[in-house]
Amino acid sequence: MSDVLVFEMGEFPAEFPRTFHYAANHMWAHRGDDSWRFGFTAYAVRLLQDVYFLDWNFDAGVPVQQQQEIGSIESKKAESSLYAPISGELTEFNQQLLSDPSGINLDKYGQGWLFEIRPVDDNTTADLMTAENYLDHLEEVWKVTQRTIKGQLG
Amino acid sequence: MGLPVFISTGQSNNPLKRELEQQLVEQLSADPAFDLTLVANLYDLSPAGPALTAMGEVDKEMLVISWFYSRGAHWILDRNGIHGQVGEIELEIENDDEDEQDEDEDQPEEEIYRVIDDRPLPDREIFCLNMKASEQADDFVEEARRIAQLVLNKWIQGNPDPEQLARFQQPVNQQAAAAVPTLETDAARRWYPVIDFSRCTNCMECIDFCLFGVYGVDRAETILVEQPDNCRKGCPACSRVCPENAIVFPQHKSPAIAGAQVDLGGLKIDLSLLFGKPDAADEAARERDEQLVLAGRSPVSNDDAPLEKRQANKPSAPADELDGLLDQLDELA
Repeated sequence: MSDVLVFEMGEFPAEFPRTFHYAANHMWAHRGDDSWRFGFTAYAVRLLQDVYFLDWNFDAGVPVQQQQEIGSIESKKAESSLYAPISGELTEFNQQLLSDPSGINLDKYGQGWLFEIRPVDDNTTADLMTAENYLDHLEEVWKVTQRTIKGQLG
Repeated sequence: MGLPVFISTGQSNNPLKRELEQQLVEQLSADPAFDLTLVANLYDLSPAGPALTAMGEVDKEMLVISWFYSRGAHWILDRNGIHGQVGEIELEIENDDEDEQDEDEDQPEEEIYRVIDDRPLPDREIFCLNMKASEQADDFVEEARRIAQLVLNKWIQGNPDPEQLARFQQPVNQQAAAAVPTLETDAARRWYPVIDFSRCTNCMECIDFCLFGVYGVDRAETILVEQPDNCRKGCPACSRVCPENAIVFPQHKSPAIAGAQVDLGGLKIDLSLLFGKPDAADEAARERDEQLVLAGRSPVSNDDAPLEKRQANKPSAPADELDGLLDQLDELA
């Protein structure tokens, strides 16, 4: 069994390591000692393309609610607000990305991580998906995503 | 001696923005009409750091080119002790309701006290250009030369020193373009309000509203941003409660909060309220509560006790046509 699952976005193969969990807002999640590290999945990075600017609404060390707006991003293809994937304490932002966000493009599953959240309890992370489930999720949303992009392009 | 020009680079790595900055550096540094210095993002500069110190040492006209609305940039400088008259510029972001503003200009302005009335500014002008106003470097170079000409005329008072004039008329570089001084390239990000004292009436709504100790008063009991770095990153709530739209968060994504030119009478009617958006006071209270919770404190607002109006005993002005229209909107809602 391969370590990586692939989802075809048109001609582009987006890869998802099985060792990670995934949030519905297209962030990967990786369990650390007492907190989870999050970053953009290959799906998100493919839609964003080159990231030019990343900003967070507050400094680390604060409680966040799932879906709370926590920051914003500017890339070659998009501008968007960013939202917390789970509830918990946001313990750390990747400071490296503030001066140079291109790490997101260069190493999305490694050096390009975004932030870490210490979940309230195990229930908080129950919604996170396995790579297989995330792929099912992508099958569902890919058509909508394409429509959204085409709609905005007029 | 040319016109002192400071180019403040932005935070974004967008190649289009970087290229515009680079083109401006190349063109302005090659022109002896300008003395160019490059500084980091104006808003982030540390209060006594090398960049603001250098800017503070200029005691005559200067031009500041940044990614901020000119009003935002002007009052960032003012907050840092760099005072001057607002230099009029001709290159601004195009405003859709320009006609409307022209009409307003014909009406006599009300006599309202503004903090600036007690605070005469030095006679020199500070010109602030916003790099969002055009994608063409040539537009900025042209505007910079217009300003330089204007300033030179003021300096020499119609009495040109031939050498000075020759320098201006002959845009040939005598020094290497590479020698542009660069100060503070890596300023850490900051977040704080600046007050536009040409609008501020010293009403104290902001100091009452903010629970993070950002505002204070000076010895003359005039409002000031006393502890800018106490401000909660991303929170623009005090700006929403300011009755005169005098509080500017230059880095905020909403133009009205970031210092775009708006009428003193308030913004154009926004029908978002009708469509379910919370009103400004409610939104400000909600934003403040979010920041209190983030800071580990308890929220102070609830639906039963809406914000009290500080000037509750202020006589209300006679209703005008707009009030009638708003009443109709209220009824619809």
